Amino acid sequence: MAGYILRRLLSAIPVLLGITVIVFVIMALIPGDPATAILGSFATPENVEKLNRDLGLDKPLVAQYFIWLGNMLQGDFGQSFALNRPVIDEVLERFGATLILAGTAFVLCSLFGVIAGVVSAARQYGFADKVITFVVLLGISIPSFFLGMMMILTFAVSLRWFPVSGMWPIYGARDLAALIDHLTMPALALAVVATGVIARLSRSAMLEVLRQDFIRTARAKGVPEGRVVWRHALRAAMVSIIPVLGIQAGFVLSGAVYIEIVFQWPGVGRMLVDAILKRDILLVQGGVVLVAACYVMFNIAVDVAQSLLDPRIKT
Amino acid sequence: MRAFLTLLARNRLALWGGVVLAGVVLLALITPLLPLAEPDVTDTANRFKAPFSEGALLGTDHLGRDLLSRLLWGTRLSLAVGFAAAMIAATLGAAIGIIAGFYGGRVDNVIMRGVDMLMAFPYILLALAIVAALGPGLLNALIAVAAVNVPFFARNIRGVTVSIAHKEFVDAARLAGMSNARIILFEILPNVLPVIVIAMSTTIGWMILETAGLSFLGLGSQPPQADLGSMLGEARAALITNPHTSIVSGAMILVIVMCINLLGDGVRDALDPRLRSGALSRPVPATAVSREDVPAAKGEALLDVQVLQTQFHVKDRVYRAVGGVDLTVEPGQCLGIIGESGSGKSVTALSVMGLVASPPGVITGGAVRYKGDDLIGAPYEVLRSLRGDRVAYVFQDPLATLHPLYTVGDQLIEAVRVHHRVARAEARARAIELLTSVRIPNAQSRVDSYPHELSGGMRQRVGIAMALANDPEIIIADEPTTALDVTVQAQILSLLDDLRRDRGLAIIFITHDFGVVAQLCDRVAVMYAGRIVEEGPTEAILTSPAHPYTARLMACVPELGQGRRRLEAIAGLPPAVDRLPAGCAFAERCVKAREACRASEIALAGTGARAVRCIDPDVPLAAETVA
Repeated sequence: MAGYILRRLLSAIPVLLGITVIVFVIMALIPGDPATAILGSFATPENVEKLNRDLGLDKPLVAQYFIWLGNMLQGDFGQSFALNRPVIDEVLERFGATLILAGTAFVLCSLFGVIAGVVSAARQYGFADKVITFVVLLGISIPSFFLGMMMILTFAVSLRWFPVSGMWPIYGARDLAALIDHLTMPALALAVVATGVIARLSRSAMLEVLRQDFIRTARAKGVPEGRVVWRHALRAAMVSIIPVLGIQAGFVLSGAVYIEIVFQWPGVGRMLVDAILKRDILLVQGGVVLVAACYVMFNIAVDVAQSLLDPRIKT
Repeated sequence: MRAFLTLLARNRLALWGGVVLAGVVLLALITPLLPLAEPDVTDTANRFKAPFSEGALLGTDHLGRDLLSRLLWGTRLSLAVGFAAAMIAATLGAAIGIIAGFYGGRVDNVIMRGVDMLMAFPYILLALAIVAALGPGLLNALIAVAAVNVPFFARNIRGVTVSIAHKEFVDAARLAGMSNARIILFEILPNVLPVIVIAMSTTIGWMILETAGLSFLGLGSQPPQADLGSMLGEARAALITNPHTSIVSGAMILVIVMCINLLGDGVRDALDPRLRSGALSRPVPATAVSREDVPAAKGEALLDVQVLQTQFHVKDRVYRAVGGVDLTVEPGQCLGIIGESGSGKSVTALSVMGLVASPPGVITGGAVRYKGDDLIGAPYEVLRSLRGDRVAYVFQDPLATLHPLYTVGDQLIEAVRVHHRVARAEARARAIELLTSVRIPNAQSRVDSYPHELSGGMRQRVGIAMALANDPEIIIADEPTTALDVTVQAQILSLLDDLRRDRGLAIIFITHDFGVVAQLCDRVAVMYAGRIVEEGPTEAILTSPAHPYTARLMACVPELGQGRRRLEAIAGLPPAVDRLPAGCAFAERCVKAREACRASEIALAGTGARAVRCIDPDVPLAAETVA
């Protein structure tokens, strides 16, 4: 097992390098001169030239890439000019908030999605199946930012169950109760779309498995139907559900950008959008690379979980 | 194409989605012709007018612009951008996918590595990076959304192309001297097109959402021009004071995407052949029953199957898999059921405990009496408590019939514990004992093996051990030795025979092999087209078969040491069970067939031990009734 994990980690290296190349190439496409962008159009040519030298932008592209890569490997992602602080500090601080939001949403959508999919499959064409199918359709069709806004109107403004926005109360203790109070709505809004997708795929994975011969064997043994569905079938269906969970984690992370804006959540998504609007390129670069790297690592964890679940996978 | 449209129209939800979507698209198309207020003319004196107010059906926004007009113009823009993004992504993605799949080798390798790399990003990061590079703007948002979706199309289309690129018609085109470009355009593309359409129909809604999202963030369309996303983004500031400005545009996105999803699902179902047959339904815990009258009990046999009828209802067709079968088994007896594949022998066996997959299976008549009690239509809990406890099954192909992700020990332990309240450790000891009793060496360590770690013979023994777990009275073995080689087969048979003698088990043994029947069974029933055509003591039937079909079936079996003899296959095929003839089902293939055979149904006739369903049996049965 340890060997398998090590091999998966090694195989991630080219992927991570590829990500840096893609980000670098996209950023190199930026028209105009970053130094001018930073200093503004009234900067003196001498200042522009000096900044270009400081940023290493007078060197050829390939050299620039390796300097950038080398700096990143040493933990230096550059300086955000808009915030005037190191990119890495800003990103790590913001990423914590995003992880709390996206992580909660991911747990919620995995749980609800799989349960809804299993119930839907076990009761195919029944009442529960129809209700779930409809709710799932609604869930995958509603823009998460619109859903978030409607939740604010309903549960924060009208019913006053939850605070309107933010991660912490402005006054008062920053304890777990306060966090949960602020987290509930954005996490639910973020989970809805992924729940729908996971429920759909779980349903079809379960339908596929329930037709297999070993399900008939379980029934022939006299295994109660609940156990047939939740143990025999679900265990086998998880083999195809887990990779979907890995993909959905990326969608949850993506959706977090909108939810962070709607709920004023101090996460990395909001930071990126602000950075783009302010053309704070180094912050965008650093943020994208770090978040993408985390996502790659997460997918390795998914693969490992998969190999633990399926003894037929050679580790 | 017409078939596709009919299928699509039959799907009510898809139809509704299509109708509503068509309405929205039509409105968007004729927007410039409608008598609407100018969408971008501000009138701050009249800001935030409520819906249904004078001159503004949906009210006005924060700059006093007419919301209805802005909504329609925004819809127009959103639809156009979403559709354009989908087209670009589909075209580029399909081109990349086809090239990778068609050329294969290094080209494929390099392209797919790149695609995997792009898919390693959460999509929004890539879209944000592209917008960051190109600058905010609707066109750039469109490019970003299209680019993000290219890998998805490329991967899907490549998969399909690979499977097509090596088909005969492509080889033929190559041999005919067609250039690669022509082959791709005229041979590959038409076959990949349905997949592209499916992929597009399932992602276009998603792309409209994504472009709306980027606009919502302020990275898409720039004021004063507005699509639905940027309308919602601008309205957000007044969400609490004037929610109608948000609701109008948000609801429109919801309606559009929902209709597209409904329609997309419909398109996918209509184009995907696997779903088209309605095959993707799961079997319920016990076979459906729909019978009119129940035959009266006749005695207290251990298991008595009376005029059992099981059918498969697929769409408008009815397949009569079992058409009135009677069987009786007593303790310690072994009954063989023999017949070709499709003769209904497995379905008969599975019907006993309601294990016929349903849908499409339905038991439409007869009774199955266990010690006098009818099991057909019995409550699920009654069936469940008998399954595996009193009546156990052994199936063919134990690789598919054992759960692949549980150890054989866990599966044996479960078999015991679902019927008896015993501690886990005790059940485990029982599992090892069971494995030993079916002569599995090293049962102590084998108990922790997964099915895929065992050989075929071993797995079949596990299957038998599982059937024995609760000392059942009846074992129904459905071709348990068919997948095994001859020596293993012999071992399994002698094992079953020993168990029968030692424990007084009743066995129903289903096979297509007369050799196996001769070795194990006291009585044998020969099935053809869902009915028993001959039944009697094994010895008698083997030496003097009465039904012409039995005789022909036996002639198919090669015998060692019997010298040269013609090995005869039976000419023709069994009749399809959805179109059974009125008379004898074997008449078409029978050398003795005559007018009377085809005229009307022939009863299973006989006295005492033997019975045959033939008006002109090969041997007269009356003489044998004494035996």
